[in-house]
Amino acid sequence: MARFHELEVTDIHKTIRDAVVVTLKPSEPEAFAFTQGQYLTFRRDFDGEELRRSYSICAGTDEGKLQVGIKRVDGGAFSTFANEELKVGDTLEAMPPMGRFFTELEPDAGKNYLGFAGGSGITPVLSILKTTLAREPRSTFTLVYANKGVASIMFREELEDLKNTYMGRLSVIHILETDAQEIDLFTGLVTEEKVGQLFRSGFLDTDATDTAFICGPEPMMLGIAAGLKAAGMAEDQIKFELFASAQPGRLAKRVISKEAGKTANEAQIVVTLDGATRTVAASKQLSVLDAARAENLDAPYACKAGVCSTCRCRVLEGEVEMVTNHALEDYEVEKGYVLSCQSFPVTDKVVVDYDQ
Amino acid sequence: MTSDFAEMTLSDYLAQGGRLTSPGNVPPRYRAELLKIMATFVDSNLAGAAGFADMINSAPGIKARGAAARIVAEKLANADRVLTLMGEFGADTDRYVRQHPWDTRLERSADIGATRIEHDMRLAVFNYPFTSWADSVVMNLLMGTAVCVQLEELRQVSYQPLAEAFRDILKIEEHHAALAVEGARVLALETAELQPSVDYWMPRVAVSFGIGDAGRLEQLKAMGLRHIENTALKSDWMERMRPILAELGLRTA
Repeated sequence: MARFHELEVTDIHKTIRDAVVVTLKPSEPEAFAFTQGQYLTFRRDFDGEELRRSYSICAGTDEGKLQVGIKRVDGGAFSTFANEELKVGDTLEAMPPMGRFFTELEPDAGKNYLGFAGGSGITPVLSILKTTLAREPRSTFTLVYANKGVASIMFREELEDLKNTYMGRLSVIHILETDAQEIDLFTGLVTEEKVGQLFRSGFLDTDATDTAFICGPEPMMLGIAAGLKAAGMAEDQIKFELFASAQPGRLAKRVISKEAGKTANEAQIVVTLDGATRTVAASKQLSVLDAARAENLDAPYACKAGVCSTCRCRVLEGEVEMVTNHALEDYEVEKGYVLSCQSFPVTDKVVVDYDQ
Repeated sequence: MTSDFAEMTLSDYLAQGGRLTSPGNVPPRYRAELLKIMATFVDSNLAGAAGFADMINSAPGIKARGAAARIVAEKLANADRVLTLMGEFGADTDRYVRQHPWDTRLERSADIGATRIEHDMRLAVFNYPFTSWADSVVMNLLMGTAVCVQLEELRQVSYQPLAEAFRDILKIEEHHAALAVEGARVLALETAELQPSVDYWMPRVAVSFGIGDAGRLEQLKAMGLRHIENTALKSDWMERMRPILAELGLRTA
């Protein structure tokens, strides 16, 4: 299982008003060798609760540095902390690079790549385009980069510099939602229709495109994917990286039931699954999973040995004893997650939720 | 990837064909169903490889033994590829392989329908034992094409890392299916008695397409984890098997 390592902040600077670029020096550099397009998952304690957030690496693999871009999100604890409090010399904790948002590079290849980025979705695409242009001297890269306005374009100057460095091999089309541009087509949102127009007007060319990379908010990814397929690109030529992370809701700490701890052999287990809640009465000798399944609830499981984590659920009230755990990490257990195949009721009432 | 924007709910995104890309952005119920699909694939391959490994020494010649050994090795590699993805969700991958005897089989006469045995998620068909080399070739002939039909659907799965794995694995499985056809041709020329094996395995492979539960399929479709009805997949498989069996002088069971 991947573990967290310490990284020292060696540089931090703003790329736009509400986004920072953070340069990191890992205590164990060999663990942080990365492939273009990968991301780091950070953890940090906020008011006693551990938060994990993933941010894409924006450096190319040949730049000899580890750098992530973090845009501040309203109400986002980690991104606000990074933008407002983080400073040079601080230490962060992150897991080694992960993710598959890349294709294999071949130095002899002369390929044409298309990248679509929305807002801070530029970070992995920037890593990919820098690495590709450096490693595949005969390849070209066209970036379609969507932003609200000029002021919110991350890495604008760096992209201009790259265009000069890789003259004729890198082209950048900025699509701005609100700021008017010389060409009407470059104003608005990047939708399926817009992608079609870009192809028809010759700014983009699917026939010549080998691979397209898309990273941005959900509606934009759907629109672009539809536009690329309509223009004749195949599913396996399109690589996605989804922006958002499913944020487990911050729920109240689990409540230990008042009448808990009695010594009955039978427990009432309240199970929420697919939005429906049912109460099952079962022997405490039966695991939460088996108790639910005995009542014909289609609770998920696979290995029944505490190894695979398919049967994970969250205990909201009461207490269970998890006899084996080879799959959940400490922070998940602290939040009340258990492997239901390995968990037996301790209290007379237990409330579990498979939907969280 | 950053934690930016939240313009669309994940369920709307998935319902419209969106792709999820890492364990960090899958919601809980999706996670569970995805892990079940992955566990089913991994367990079936581990069990299938373990069962077929026993047949290597029964193969008639060096070429056939080599092909059988290669199929076993590649099925294990395919299981490893998907198990690695499960590991990214927290599964203990070493222990996963060790915790279970994958070569166990039930009696030939057992009739378990589509049910899984208690402690693993292998497709029911992988619980039945072979009686001979020819019997194992027939099973591979029928199951090889079934796996291709199933993977052709699953390569559209909304979890992109798994879709990519299945796309690569499909090419390998297509080759295994072709090897099974070749093996069956050799046996047919030697006038081996294959019809009883077809009669035995065909209904058992057919069951691996699952028994229809429309509500459940709709739920999986909404998450982009499934796309085509089980019955449609099964008839697609039957259509493909018919000419192959006819060429070998065999009847569908």
